[in-house]
Amino acid sequence: MKNESVGFIRAGRRQRRRRWIFVTGSLAALSFILCCAMLLLGNTIYPVMDVIRALSGEQVQGASFAVNTIRLPRMLAGLFAGFAFGIAGNTFQTMLRNPLANPNVIGITSGSSVAAVFCIVILHTSGAVVSIASVIAGLATVILIYVLSRGKSFSIGRLILIGIGIQAMLDALVSYLLLIGAEQDLPAAFRWLTGSLNGSQMDELPPLVLSVFIFAPIIIVLGKHLSILELGEQSATSLGVNTDKTRVLLIFSSVCMISIATATTGPIAFVAFLSGPIAKRLVGAGFSNVIPAGLVGANLVLAADLIGQFAFVARYPVGIITGILGAPYLIFLLIRMNRKGEL
Amino acid sequence: MTQTHIFQAEEIVAGYDNKMVIQEVSLVIPSNKISVIIGANACGKSTLLKTLSRLTKPVSGNITLDGKLISKIPSKQLARVVGLLPQSPIVPEGISVADLVGRGRFPHQSLLSGWTKKDYEAVAEAMRIMNITELANHNIDELSGGQRQRVWIAMALAQQTDILFLDEPTTFLDITYQVEILDLLTDLNRKHGTTIVMVLHDINLSARYADYIFALRQGKLIVEGEPLKVITSTLVKDIFGLDCMVIKDPVSGSPFAIPKGRYHVNNEKAP
Repeated sequence: MKNESVGFIRAGRRQRRRRWIFVTGSLAALSFILCCAMLLLGNTIYPVMDVIRALSGEQVQGASFAVNTIRLPRMLAGLFAGFAFGIAGNTFQTMLRNPLANPNVIGITSGSSVAAVFCIVILHTSGAVVSIASVIAGLATVILIYVLSRGKSFSIGRLILIGIGIQAMLDALVSYLLLIGAEQDLPAAFRWLTGSLNGSQMDELPPLVLSVFIFAPIIIVLGKHLSILELGEQSATSLGVNTDKTRVLLIFSSVCMISIATATTGPIAFVAFLSGPIAKRLVGAGFSNVIPAGLVGANLVLAADLIGQFAFVARYPVGIITGILGAPYLIFLLIRMNRKGEL
Repeated sequence: MTQTHIFQAEEIVAGYDNKMVIQEVSLVIPSNKISVIIGANACGKSTLLKTLSRLTKPVSGNITLDGKLISKIPSKQLARVVGLLPQSPIVPEGISVADLVGRGRFPHQSLLSGWTKKDYEAVAEAMRIMNITELANHNIDELSGGQRQRVWIAMALAQQTDILFLDEPTTFLDITYQVEILDLLTDLNRKHGTTIVMVLHDINLSARYADYIFALRQGKLIVEGEPLKVITSTLVKDIFGLDCMVIKDPVSGSPFAIPKGRYHVNNEKAP
C-alpha cells in the first residue's frame, strides 16, 4: 500500500520530467539549428566547409569577412539577447503571477532603451558606459514603478497600469532622442524602436555574454525559490523562503541581464513577454520553467531574424517580426483575462 | 510521534499602520493538542494567527519556540517545525496535485537536488492522510473546492512540521467537507501528535473539535481553556454579542450554542 502510492506518484513525476527533458532538449537542438542557419545563410551562400574554415580562423576569400564580421556577431547577439529576454521576462511573470507583468509591457526595457539611446546617439559613447547606464536606468524604472504603485496594499493591477503608462512616456522619450540625434540614421532608429540585430559587432558583445553567464545561473539556481514564490507571499514565507531577499535578488539579476541585452540589440519587441507563457505551455507546470523560457527566447529572436532577413522582398529588423507575433497574443491575453475577471 | 515544543507569545502587539489589532496577547500553545482561536469578525483572530506564524511582524512582544525568538531562527529551519495553511492560498495554473503537494518539501530540500526517497514518502504519506492519492497526477484546475482544500492541507502535511497553523481551513466548504476536513485534522493530531492551531468561524464545530479554546475580543485574549469549561452563554454573549443557550451536544457531549434571535422563540413574542 505504502510503496504502491510512492510508485504511483513517482511514475507520474517521471513522466512529467521526461516531457521536460524532451522539450528542453528539443528547444536546445532547435537553437543550434537556427544558429547554424544564421551562419550559413546570407547574400552569398558559402559551402559549409568554407564557413567552418572561416570560423576556425582560416582566411577564406569572401567567407571570412561575411561569417566572422557580419553573421557570427549577429547570431551571438540574437542567441544571448533572446536567452536573456526569455529568462528575465519569465522571472517577472512567474514572480508576479501575471503574464502582463513583464519588462516589455511595464517599461523596463524602455527605460534601458532611453539610457542606451542617450549614450550612443547623443553622447556617442559605447561599451561598458552604455551597459552600466542602461542597467541603472532599468533598475531606476523598476524602483519608479514600485514607488508609484505602492498604495495602502500592493496591487498587481495597479503596478501593470502604472508600468504601461511609464512605458508610453519612455517610448516617447526614445523617439524624441532619435529625432534630435539620428535624424538621417534610419537603421539606428529601427534598432531603438523595435530592436534589431543589424550591424551587431563583435566588440559590442562582451557585456551581453558576460551578463548572461553571471546572472542566468543565479536565476536558474533560484528556480526552486521562484516556484515557491509563485504560491503567494504567505505560503512562501511559511515554507521558509525569505521573500524580500529572494525577490530583490531575482529582480536585480533579471534587470541587469535584460538591460544589457536591450543596450546591445534594442528592445526586441515582445520576446520577454512571449517566452515564459510559450515555455510553460510546452513543458507543463511541475518543473522549473527558467531554462526552457530562455531557450524559447533565443529561438524566437533567431527565427524571427531569419524570417525578417529572407522571407520578404525587403529586409525587416527582427523586432518587427516579433512585434507581429506578440501584439495579437497581448490582445488575446487581455481578452481572456478580462473574461476571467482578472483585470 | 512528533516532538513536544514550547511555543509561546509574550505580550504581543500587532496591527497595520496605526491600528493595533492585537493588544498585548500572551499565550502558550498546548503542545500536541488541537487549539482553536474563536472570536467575532474583525476581532483580530486572523492577525493573531498570522503573527504567530511569522507572516506579520509584531510591533512589540516576543514569540518564542523552545525558548528561542522565532525572528532569530533561520527561516528554512523554522519551516521544518512550524507550518501554515493560509486562508486563501494561490494556485499556480496547470500544476498537478503531486507536484503541488511536493512544494511542501521545500524546507527539507537543497537548492538543486530533485526529490529524494524521503520526499516521495512524505508526499505519499500526506496524500494518503488527506485521501487524495488517486488524484496525484490530476491537474489541480480539475478539482472541486473540497478536494482542493485537502490538497492544500496535504501540502502543509508534506512539510512534516510538528506545529501546524490553519487559517479558517473550512471556509467556503459545504458542511460535509467541513466535518471531513476537521476529522482528518483530528486523525493527524491523534495519530502523529501534531500540534494544531486553527481559526474557525463555527463556534459549535470549534467546541467539538478543540482540545483548547482561545477566545478573542477586540484584539484581547479574554478567555482560554477547555471547551467544556469556557464555552458558556456568558462567553458567547461576550465575544459575539449574541444571546444564546448552551446545551450539551447530544452527539459529542461538547458544549453547543443555540442562538436566540428575535423570532421563532418558543413562548415569546417578537418585540
